[in-house]
Amino acid sequence: MTNILIDAPRPVVRSTRASAPTLVGLEIRKSLSTRSGKAVALAAAVLAPVVVALISLSGEPLDAVNGPIGALGMVTALVLFPLGVLATAGEWSHRTVQTTFLLAPNRTKVMITKVAGVAVMGALLAAIASALTTAVLLVAPVGDPSWAGVPLAVGVSVAAGAAFAVIGAGAGAALANTPAALTGLYLTILGAMPALRIWKPEVADALDPSNAVLQLATGHGTTANTVTLVGWVVVTTVVGTVVTRRRAVA
Amino acid sequence: MITVSGLTKKYGDRTVVDDVSFELQPGTVTGFLGPNGAGKTTTMRMMTSLVAPTAGSAVIDGRLYAELPNPGAVVGTLLDASAVHPGRTGRTHLRLLATAVGVPASRADEVLEMVGLSDAANRRIGGYSLGMRQRLGIAGALLADPPVLMFDEPANGLDPEGIRWMRDLLRAHAGRGGTVLLSSHLLGEVEHTVDRLLVIGAGRIVADGPVASLLGGDGTTVRALDSSSLAADLKAAGLPVEAGAGGALVVAGTEPSQVFAVAAAGGHVLTELRPTERALEDLFFQLTTAA
Repeated sequence: MTNILIDAPRPVVRSTRASAPTLVGLEIRKSLSTRSGKAVALAAAVLAPVVVALISLSGEPLDAVNGPIGALGMVTALVLFPLGVLATAGEWSHRTVQTTFLLAPNRTKVMITKVAGVAVMGALLAAIASALTTAVLLVAPVGDPSWAGVPLAVGVSVAAGAAFAVIGAGAGAALANTPAALTGLYLTILGAMPALRIWKPEVADALDPSNAVLQLATGHGTTANTVTLVGWVVVTTVVGTVVTRRRAVA
Repeated sequence: MITVSGLTKKYGDRTVVDDVSFELQPGTVTGFLGPNGAGKTTTMRMMTSLVAPTAGSAVIDGRLYAELPNPGAVVGTLLDASAVHPGRTGRTHLRLLATAVGVPASRADEVLEMVGLSDAANRRIGGYSLGMRQRLGIAGALLADPPVLMFDEPANGLDPEGIRWMRDLLRAHAGRGGTVLLSSHLLGEVEHTVDRLLVIGAGRIVADGPVASLLGGDGTTVRALDSSSLAADLKAAGLPVEAGAGGALVVAGTEPSQVFAVAAAGGHVLTELRPTERALEDLFFQLTTAA
């Protein structure tokens, strides 16, 4: 260790708090600075195009490509849950939330920047996945399918990527436990919702965000589907923010 | 200046911090001592707005921590060295903090060199030893060279060289007008580092004052070539004499000058003459056991 403490020039320090864009950028860097974050990002970007490439090897012709793009967009969105969960619950699990709140004591602002950060990443990764999926379909042996509705399917996929990442962040903040948040989300979306669809299909239609994405992406969506997605985003974010504000940092 | 007034924290029926008040002046190193569960860490967390107090307040130059324009630039904290993501490298961790605090990214390398972690900067924190994580935490606190340093058990895991380095760091920081609050269980290290002691027991401050006055006893310790003869002369002079440790004589309620006068009158050769001091460990147990 050096003894340059006394004579070392003082660093230039910002006199104000970090701006919102700075904090959003910081959250994105934090998410991509770990192996788990990078793995989720990579999986989200390449899973859909890899799946469509494998499916296309069967040689079965497609009638239209907007359906596969939308469906795989929904798959990409499901892969983006962990991105959000790690951004919030991951901080509690590793106790880095202590440093985060020491440097940015306004917890509502921290949650907003985390939500914004994962939304940007979710949208970007979903856009990359959709672009790669479209590129694969352009060259894959899938016959001469219709390309109508592709812009809508891509747009919904990008929005779903952002939405599901935000839902993950909200759930992660509410539970402050990465395994619990991920298990809860996947059990709900992939377990409870299909079961509900068998028992009360109209209720499942109103509550299931993955079904809402599929309907919207394939051009069969309604205002109710949009409300479902927005409702999930708002409720998880608000609950996650309220809980974060009240939870003591141990 | 840091002013803590009536800080209290209750969890249900349990009071973990009870009406704690003190002031920290610039240019001082204050040791915050107390047994496990006494309330040191909770007090520090309330001072840094991590935990909401049940009552009372802690202000830094008149402002709550959460109201400071850039808290990390004012207070450098090390509350838990393990509160780092093990998957990040040391350099990445500090560069993220540098962005949050508002210092250049290059500052990360400067503080890494200060704490002796330059060679480990590109290694994942998960592979760091406890001492390395401690030094990384200190590096993070030093990023903005803040006027206030608040360290909770900073010497944990440090080797003797590291402890001496940290002691020099904190003394130099106070020497430049900074304020340091340091909690530790290493009583010997605290005694050599701090100017002032805050002792907390069962959530309450049980002692608050300069080290010299808290450890200074009421009396004189003296050794002589002929201790028994000196003891007789001291008793003849009406002074209360008791046998101390290692053949010393302890004369309660006296100044060294009084003892010297008796010794000089009797022609005694003294080998030691000093005010009686209590050991910090004795003071610590006396105060915290009573609490």
